[in-house]
Amino acid sequence: MTLRLPRRLSATAAAYVVCAALFAFATIHSSSFASAGHVRQLLVFASFIGFAGLGETLVILGGGLDLSVPWLMALGGMQLSIWASGGMPSGLAILLLVGIGALIGIVNGLGVTLLRIPPIIMTIGTGALVEGYLMKVGLNSSSAVTAPKAAQTLVENHVAGIPVVALVWLGAAIVTWWVLKRTVFGRSLYATGANEAVARLAGTRVIAVRVTTYAASGAAAVFAGILLAGYIGQAYLSMGAPYLFSSIAAVAIGGASVLGGSGSYWGTVAGAGTLTILAALLPTFNLSDAALNIVYGLVILLAVGASRFARRGSA
Amino acid sequence: MSAVATPTREKARAAGISLKRLPRGQWGTVLLLAALVVADFAVQPNLADVDQIGLLLQTAMPAVLLAAAQTLAVLSRGVDLSVGSVMVTTNVLVATKLGGIDGSHMGLIVPIVAVGAAAGLINGALIAYGGLEPFVATLASWAIFNGVALLILPTDGGAVPTTITNLVIGKVGPIPSSYVGVAIVLAFWWYLRRSPLGVRILAVGSDESRAFLNGIDVRRTKLLVYALSGLIAGLAGIYLAGATSSGTPAAGDGFLLPSLAAVVIGGTSLAGGRGGIGLSVMGVMVLTFITDLVTNLQLPSWVAVVANAAMLLLVVSLRSLPNVLSRKETP
Amino acid sequence: MTGSGIQPRPAAVPADPPPFGAGEADGLRVTGLGKSYGQVTVLEGVDLHARPGEIHALLGENGAGKSTLMKVLSGVIHADGGRIALDGRELTLGSPDAARAHRIRTVFQELSLVPDLGVAENLLIERLPRQRFVGTIGRRRLVREANALLESAGLDGVDPRTRVAELSLAVRQQLELVKALRVDPSVLILDEATSALGPSESDWVLAHARAQASRGAVVIMISHRIAEVRGHADRLTILRSGHSVATGAPNAFDDDALIEQMLGRRVERLYPARAPARERVVLRAKGLHVPGSFGPQDLELREGEILGIGGLEGQGQRALMTALAGAIPFHGELELNGESVSYRTPRQAIRNGIVLVPEDRGAEGLLLSHSIRSNIALSSVEKLRSRMRSIDAGAEREATEREARAVGLDVRRMGEPARNLSGGNQQKVVLARALLTEPRVLLLYDCTRGIDVGSKADIMAALAQLTASGVAIVYYSSDAAELVHLCDRVLVVRSRRIAGVLDCARATGEEDILHLAVGTRGDEEEEAA
Repeated sequence: MTLRLPRRLSATAAAYVVCAALFAFATIHSSSFASAGHVRQLLVFASFIGFAGLGETLVILGGGLDLSVPWLMALGGMQLSIWASGGMPSGLAILLLVGIGALIGIVNGLGVTLLRIPPIIMTIGTGALVEGYLMKVGLNSSSAVTAPKAAQTLVENHVAGIPVVALVWLGAAIVTWWVLKRTVFGRSLYATGANEAVARLAGTRVIAVRVTTYAASGAAAVFAGILLAGYIGQAYLSMGAPYLFSSIAAVAIGGASVLGGSGSYWGTVAGAGTLTILAALLPTFNLSDAALNIVYGLVILLAVGASRFARRGSA
Repeated sequence: MSAVATPTREKARAAGISLKRLPRGQWGTVLLLAALVVADFAVQPNLADVDQIGLLLQTAMPAVLLAAAQTLAVLSRGVDLSVGSVMVTTNVLVATKLGGIDGSHMGLIVPIVAVGAAAGLINGALIAYGGLEPFVATLASWAIFNGVALLILPTDGGAVPTTITNLVIGKVGPIPSSYVGVAIVLAFWWYLRRSPLGVRILAVGSDESRAFLNGIDVRRTKLLVYALSGLIAGLAGIYLAGATSSGTPAAGDGFLLPSLAAVVIGGTSLAGGRGGIGLSVMGVMVLTFITDLVTNLQLPSWVAVVANAAMLLLVVSLRSLPNVLSRKETP
Repeated sequence: MTGSGIQPRPAAVPADPPPFGAGEADGLRVTGLGKSYGQVTVLEGVDLHARPGEIHALLGENGAGKSTLMKVLSGVIHADGGRIALDGRELTLGSPDAARAHRIRTVFQELSLVPDLGVAENLLIERLPRQRFVGTIGRRRLVREANALLESAGLDGVDPRTRVAELSLAVRQQLELVKALRVDPSVLILDEATSALGPSESDWVLAHARAQASRGAVVIMISHRIAEVRGHADRLTILRSGHSVATGAPNAFDDDALIEQMLGRRVERLYPARAPARERVVLRAKGLHVPGSFGPQDLELREGEILGIGGLEGQGQRALMTALAGAIPFHGELELNGESVSYRTPRQAIRNGIVLVPEDRGAEGLLLSHSIRSNIALSSVEKLRSRMRSIDAGAEREATEREARAVGLDVRRMGEPARNLSGGNQQKVVLARALLTEPRVLLLYDCTRGIDVGSKADIMAALAQLTASGVAIVYYSSDAAELVHLCDRVLVVRSRRIAGVLDCARATGEEDILHLAVGTRGDEEEEAA
């Protein structure tokens, strides 16, 4: 009678059901919602949350949390503009920035694992340090810097009607899926998130795994910031602010346990989609930002409730 | 005959349930706070004055209340991400529903306080009876109550009755009322810690299944924890309104992370069962004096941000370091 | 041999037990009790009659339903069918509170003390003494009452203000009994109440149990220590696969009959015959030193040898084992097969061929939410990779099933989460994981504590196979009899040093271990030849 899926799958499936239901509802309400142009736009928007959420997913799976995402996004956008306008080739600048994001992530990871600083505090701290740095560089140019051409092209180009960004996102999702499911790193990550002490005694490289997740999160956040800057055409200090909540919410909606040890990136993808659809849908009802907040909260409850219900009926 | 590993009475006292002595690890935080206070006084000698400190406490009071609320959730092995949002909800209600500066509808203050408790009850119900993770449930209510606050008052404004303002910025006898506020918070914790509910909260946070085995109604205890947390967060909103004389619907987020930081700096364990509001109040004071010190040094704003962050990380590292070094474990 | 509990004063048996309430003193009568979880039947048609004034033992393998039955009697879970009557009155035990209301008290195997609260708060948690007006807990009265309880039980050495988490397992087990006795229970259930205790503390527990029985209470004890059952129980009931299969006085069954009833089959020998250890030294430690906890000491381990580690609990054995496993830092030189090695993490130790099966399978050994298969594979994932650097699912399945069979696990259950298994089966999963790493030295830390006879037999068989192929085993156990029967040599640890080495081929008995453990009969610094 009921489809018996393994636990992990059913939580993710529930997230996609919610996402699809919302999309269907939005299309009924406003037929242009499902138009090709609009869907392309949604995909681009969703990819921002998607990349920010990629790193967040890995960190959360390992039992941690990364709150430095908004500042790293701003770093990506603003620093790229500064370097590009200073003459650095965009390709090099992007590579360098992603590397810096990874380095900052490594600092986060070391603080959390070696010094045993709670992730909430560690990542707030490094985020604030980045904020301070950006405030300083922001002083020397105008408060909003223009994004370089390279970032803009990344975002604007299409291949066969699908935005390049979305394809890159899909590629990243597939790689992430493979890494989590089929590599030693993925196994070690799930083990570490489930019970760090047990994993360590069994020979798992707990520290290396967790530091890697924070490094990946830093790199992904910087990249997301670069994309975002390319899309808006500008970079400014608070550009990443909404993405803190969104990245974590996407992971939660996707069915991962925020304590770590279970979940998948596909769930976060569905979560990103859900949040993006909502953000596009609500203005058509003439609802304010306030209402958007409330709806976000309700959807989180709905999605988590749905995934718990789905899990209850499965193995 | 056998080698008996009985703890000596001295060791027991140091680790025991008496509040007369702080657990050994917390002496570090006390020293740190003392050092910060001295440094701050050195930079700004005018600060060493009852009224000036009272002003500092007044600014810190909403954070004190939110840290207290957060502590309760953390003690039960949970977290309350909605404390900032509940705060701004009652805050904007005070600024819009009490009838302006004259406070013609002051009677509505009671339902407003109840709103905070009700918000907490909703959190508690979702967590205790709905089985949701505290992080996720309060993540959702964080968004929801932020939205509610924005709906009631979309931008900063409104008018706060002078009764409340006077209560907050006024004096009780010779001393500013903010001292009394802090004292009330500490007294509240002293009482709670010694009450059966307090023991139940610590038991649930320490080991939920064992608490259940002992006949503790775990779900009801958690419900009460979050209800109290919401109530206190609501009070913080009222206080904030009195302190700023207006409603500030967007201020909640800026208070959330400091509430968590204060709990961690104070020494309450995020795993539940150990710690207390007294410690978190110390944590708030540490953060307050760091900020005040940096402000008084009159550095450019970006340096201030960096200095704040650096000090936060330094403080937390120092707090962990003794544990890390003595930990008899290989990485 | 354990025993870092508190040396108790002996319990006094009242001279003239007062009569225990009016009405038929029928005791506890369970009839036709059943409990299922979905398709899985855990208890079916269980009958038990424990009379007042007697100590009634409950025997059976893990998975036989003993813990489920105890949980039903304690009100922790609800039965699906059947009746429970106490002195003729039928009981509905819907919650732990309901059971407590009938003065049923359980000394839980996993203990019910809350770790972060103090001893006093834990002992009196049902009835915290309140101040009259203010409603807060009277601290002084709390401590006074706790002291009174501890004294009357004979445990004056414990400060009631201590946080329970800081006390040893043995002391906590003793306190668990004190807590249960506080209300003079009419039904006292002891679930493995002596598992962490040494001889004198165990006697103390059983003496109190006997005293309570003499007061007319019903006492039910679950124990895997058959000697204990013979020494202290008046009658026993055996559960097997959820059914009550036999009942009677202990001396109506000989050991083989008991085991046969419990397993439903005969078990020839618990400790299979083994070839003697080989000559080659596989592990040599010089100056092994964990500052403050063990050593510096030297030791040697031979191929195919089972080297026992004995002594009272808390003398440094844990430090020794975890240091060898790479889990804690240590000084000294180590040689493996003649080559000098040095490692600083469990991972490096495993790469060198040394692996530990830890003490607490739930907290240190298993990822309870993960499947049995991925638990077994956990330490060896790197070996199971295909050329593409990803994990080869086929190889993983094959390897994990092979090890599962070697320890006697049902391979059909490999996809289930580890938390579904009984204690004995969980221990086998951890062992299988260690075996998959193809170790040269296997460290086992009290791996048979609290597990049933059937699982023990399977594990012993697996160990015999291992040593036959040349693997060396370091075996710490709190059970001196087990050490004597299983090991080639036994190192007895006392006060952070090796007090002596016993050669089990030379008719060593448990008392030899005990003498070395407590330091009577002088130090026998018998170094292995």
